[in-house]
Amino acid sequence: MDLTPRSAPEPKRSSRRVLPIVVAVLASVAGLAIVVMFLTSSIDYYCNVDEVGVREGCDDTRRVRVQGSVDEGSLQSRAGNTSFVMSFNGVSLPVDYEGEPGGVFQECIPVVAHGRIVDGVLMATRIEVRHSNEYEAENADRLEEAEKSACS
Amino acid sequence: MTTGTAATRVLGVLAIITTAWVVVSAFFLTPADVVQGDSVRIMYAHVPTAWIAYLAFVTTAVASGFSLVRKHRTLGFDRVAGASAEVGVLFMAMTLITGSLWGRITWGTFWQWDPRLTTTLFLFVTYVGYLAIRRVDVDPVRRARRSSVIALLAVLEIPLVHFSVVLWRSLHQEASVLNTDGDVRLDGLMLFTLFSGVVAFTLMFVWLVMHRQRLTALSDLERVVGLDAAISARRAEGVSGIHAT
Amino acid sequence: MKDLGFILASWVMTLGSIGVLALVTLRRARELSSRVPDEHKPWV
Repeated sequence: MDLTPRSAPEPKRSSRRVLPIVVAVLASVAGLAIVVMFLTSSIDYYCNVDEVGVREGCDDTRRVRVQGSVDEGSLQSRAGNTSFVMSFNGVSLPVDYEGEPGGVFQECIPVVAHGRIVDGVLMATRIEVRHSNEYEAENADRLEEAEKSACS
Repeated sequence: MTTGTAATRVLGVLAIITTAWVVVSAFFLTPADVVQGDSVRIMYAHVPTAWIAYLAFVTTAVASGFSLVRKHRTLGFDRVAGASAEVGVLFMAMTLITGSLWGRITWGTFWQWDPRLTTTLFLFVTYVGYLAIRRVDVDPVRRARRSSVIALLAVLEIPLVHFSVVLWRSLHQEASVLNTDGDVRLDGLMLFTLFSGVVAFTLMFVWLVMHRQRLTALSDLERVVGLDAAISARRAEGVSGIHAT
Repeated sequence: MKDLGFILASWVMTLGSIGVLALVTLRRARELSSRVPDEHKPWV
């Protein structure tokens, strides 16, 4: 009978053990990157129109993200350029944007415009729509109602 | 016999029927939204996956707590914790993807580093890390101990994600249901379809967790059975060797 | 229906990924079950 100790088989250092470690490290790095991105892009996503130049972090001398509703009758599209006036709390700000805003952009809807303020006009490089948390069935009466209430 | 039982079969059938109803209602019965139009149909998948992902991560935390406290049934609770996190990560991934597609239609952008989106992504990455850590340890007891602590810490992110739209200014809208003022801001059939979606995805979640925790048990057992078989074979080999001499 | 591509993509990805996970789970369960005796399975 052969009682000499057998040599242990080569331990499997294959992807079964290494892959989870790699994923865990990547997840940690990604988590850190997310926190950094979040903190560097300011925790509050936007300033309201009435806070520009008033509230800390809403200086009109640097790039800002401003939120307000698109004034009724102010929207103009000309040669690929969109201009409108946005208001919040009784304060208005004209906006100029090169291009067609995406999403459900329309008059009387709250938007966030990214850009710099030059001579009192926000020269926007990006427009995002902030839709409300209300969901209502689309029909003719509701459309009229929604349009009226949004701008009243 | 695999991981299925009469209970899981009933659950599976119920999940399929409820999901079929939700799809039909979401696409053909519910109206378009007055502002968002047809894109609101994404909501019936987006919101339930988000809520059930939260439920999954809370289940992971509760099961982890039990696995730390109740020493005798440690591994059973730990397997439920792991299975629930696996399903939660999938649901959270779907929340992020469907939210991104919905955002492109309504906001005009796939992604922004706003509070809700960022905290949700962070929650997702945390649980991907949790699942990776679970796979580092081969020993189930050590795996249970280590991952339970992580699960109990990670679950604290959920209130931060849910209330991020209240705590900070966000591009993401505030909650239409489960909001701070208690109002429900959805039309009748829209609300009913949304809740049907929650029921359908909950059934899917329970079915998946039951199967996957049994799968983990099988995987752990296979190692033990395999080890027992190897020891028996070596013993038998030794005995036959002695008889031969 | 407007934006049908986006809406369909959302649903197909959501239900598809859950379906794939379910199938993978059942397949792996069948594979492992054959190697573990029934007396070790508490749910049986």
